[in-house]
Amino acid sequence: MPIGRGTSTTFTRGLGVAAVVSLAAVALFGLVLSPPDVIQGESVRILYVHVGTVWVAYVAFIVTAVSSAAYLWRRTRSLVWDRIAGASAEIGVLFMAVTLFAGSLWGRLSWGTFWVWDARVTTTAFLFISYVGYLAVRDLGGSHEQRARRSAVVALLAVLEIPLVHFSVRLWRSVHQDASVADRTTDVELDGLMLFTLALSTVAFTLVYVWYVLHRQRVLAMEDALDDKGLDLALAERRSEAVGQKGVR
Amino acid sequence: MDDIGFILLSYIAAFGGAGALVWHVLRRARTLGRQLPDEDKPWI
Repeated sequence: MPIGRGTSTTFTRGLGVAAVVSLAAVALFGLVLSPPDVIQGESVRILYVHVGTVWVAYVAFIVTAVSSAAYLWRRTRSLVWDRIAGASAEIGVLFMAVTLFAGSLWGRLSWGTFWVWDARVTTTAFLFISYVGYLAVRDLGGSHEQRARRSAVVALLAVLEIPLVHFSVRLWRSVHQDASVADRTTDVELDGLMLFTLALSTVAFTLVYVWYVLHRQRVLAMEDALDDKGLDLALAERRSEAVGQKGVR
Repeated sequence: MDDIGFILLSYIAAFGGAGALVWHVLRRARTLGRQLPDEDKPWI
């Protein structure tokens, strides 16, 4: 009975190498090779972290919602979906925290303050807190099915905040800028190297995301398997105790 | 580069945060992997 192997496969090892190389390239291009902005100067370099991480956080929360829906739908019900949802939310929360942190540093340089109760910033903070709550709900205890069901409901409610965050800059007055690179109707022209670095950071953080979800959902599967084995063992012990007591009487 | 401290801090937070999460999951995978037979690991 071979024992001791973890969650790595040839594919995830290759993915890990690609993620590390691309992150190193992001550091090189983001900090050294890309030019400073005409208006913002050097502080524009925070853009590559800020946008790359928020992209992954959005993707992570949407994957959490889709996986949760797949769990709740009877035809596709499987705990694999629940584990993917949980793994995805964990890295989404981390990257959303980085987005808020990097954004506050950038805000200090651009707006003169670390924090403003602005529509985009505030709704993003609410989104972050909602998914911290989602992770707390996952840890409430109970059976795997109870965990999966209640956290799936929370995930489907929390994801409704994403459109609110995205469109907050249009719905309310905001100091945070609207989408400018992806929006073709604006007259914003981004330098080719800046655009490349932005795309590179998005790819690099996405690779980290995929690597993490693959490994983490396998870790969660092992945790569930060990839980089940522990429960089976406890039940067997209880049964043998009960049989022993009957024999004594 | 006047804003170097803030810029570096944002990169350290992103790379350091991701690194910490990766380290945690690999350590957990190694610990749990020792307690379970490979039959319980369908990805192998």
